[in-house]
Amino acid sequence: MGDPDEELLVRVAHGDPASVRALVARKLPRLLSLAGRMLGDAAAAEDVAQEVFLRVWKQAPRWRPGAARFDTWLHRVALNLCYDRLRRRRELSYAEPPDRPDEGPGPDRGLDAVDTGRRVSAAMQTLPDRQREAIVLCHYQELGNIEAAAVMGVSVEALESLLGRGRRTLRTALADLRG
Amino acid sequence: MNTGRFETLAEAFGGDVARWPVREREAAAQLMLARPDWASRVLADAAALDTQLKTFAAPRGTRGLADGIVAGAPSPRRAGWMAWLLPVGMGAGLAAASVAGFAVGLQITTRNDPTIEATSTVAALIDDDFGFEADEDV
Repeated sequence: MGDPDEELLVRVAHGDPASVRALVARKLPRLLSLAGRMLGDAAAAEDVAQEVFLRVWKQAPRWRPGAARFDTWLHRVALNLCYDRLRRRRELSYAEPPDRPDEGPGPDRGLDAVDTGRRVSAAMQTLPDRQREAIVLCHYQELGNIEAAAVMGVSVEALESLLGRGRRTLRTALADLRG
Repeated sequence: MNTGRFETLAEAFGGDVARWPVREREAAAQLMLARPDWASRVLADAAALDTQLKTFAAPRGTRGLADGIVAGAPSPRRAGWMAWLLPVGMGAGLAAASVAGFAVGLQITTRNDPTIEATSTVAALIDDDFGFEADEDV
């Protein structure tokens, strides 16, 4: 199966302004989704997206069609940048322990979708990175199991295991939200 | 597919079988036909978590983010612009015309002022729009 981004990328490589805008429109929401869910931080997600595009502009002329799907490469670059930030965040938190995160409203208050989203976000951030990555790629980015496994550099069986363990943890963490 | 495998897949990929690995879907469908009530319960249980996960919205990006990213892209390259024409069949013609223009330009320059180095002609033609102007003069 061909790479759906290949033709656009060739034009971007030659600086075609309309193609540059089209690529940003196509990929920016996916990058924000990926980094936002991995980091749980909208501002950091924007920084990651900007850094990814700087790499795209730099690498586009050297892109070799057929070597890998562009979207797979894009996800891998974004995830590497996310891991850099997660590492720095952990180093910082060792030196300076953060306040306990807000886990949402108390039991007397009803939960709306925004509250639930905050709870899910908080629960996602407690997952081991690789489990969170698997869920983000398969559930939010809607990659197939083979492509997600390729992005993560693991077998499809390992991916399945990461997904199962991650979802079981989330199910437990969010059990009180279920009616 | 046995029931254990079905439950494992629901646990990993959620309550929508269309999101399960392609090679497993047919067998899953057969099991759903054979045990519809049980399969519905398993899928509904997994789908409840899917619904919760959907409430974790992705950031939309602040105003100006996309424009800033676009502004950071390299400007169109002249050489690239010509290369972009290749797929529509114009690039080869332009390339040939540029080479011809270079050759003629080199001869004219050399004849008019033999002290001028050939390299300066080459530099001028490269800086030009791929020799378009030189081609028209020819």
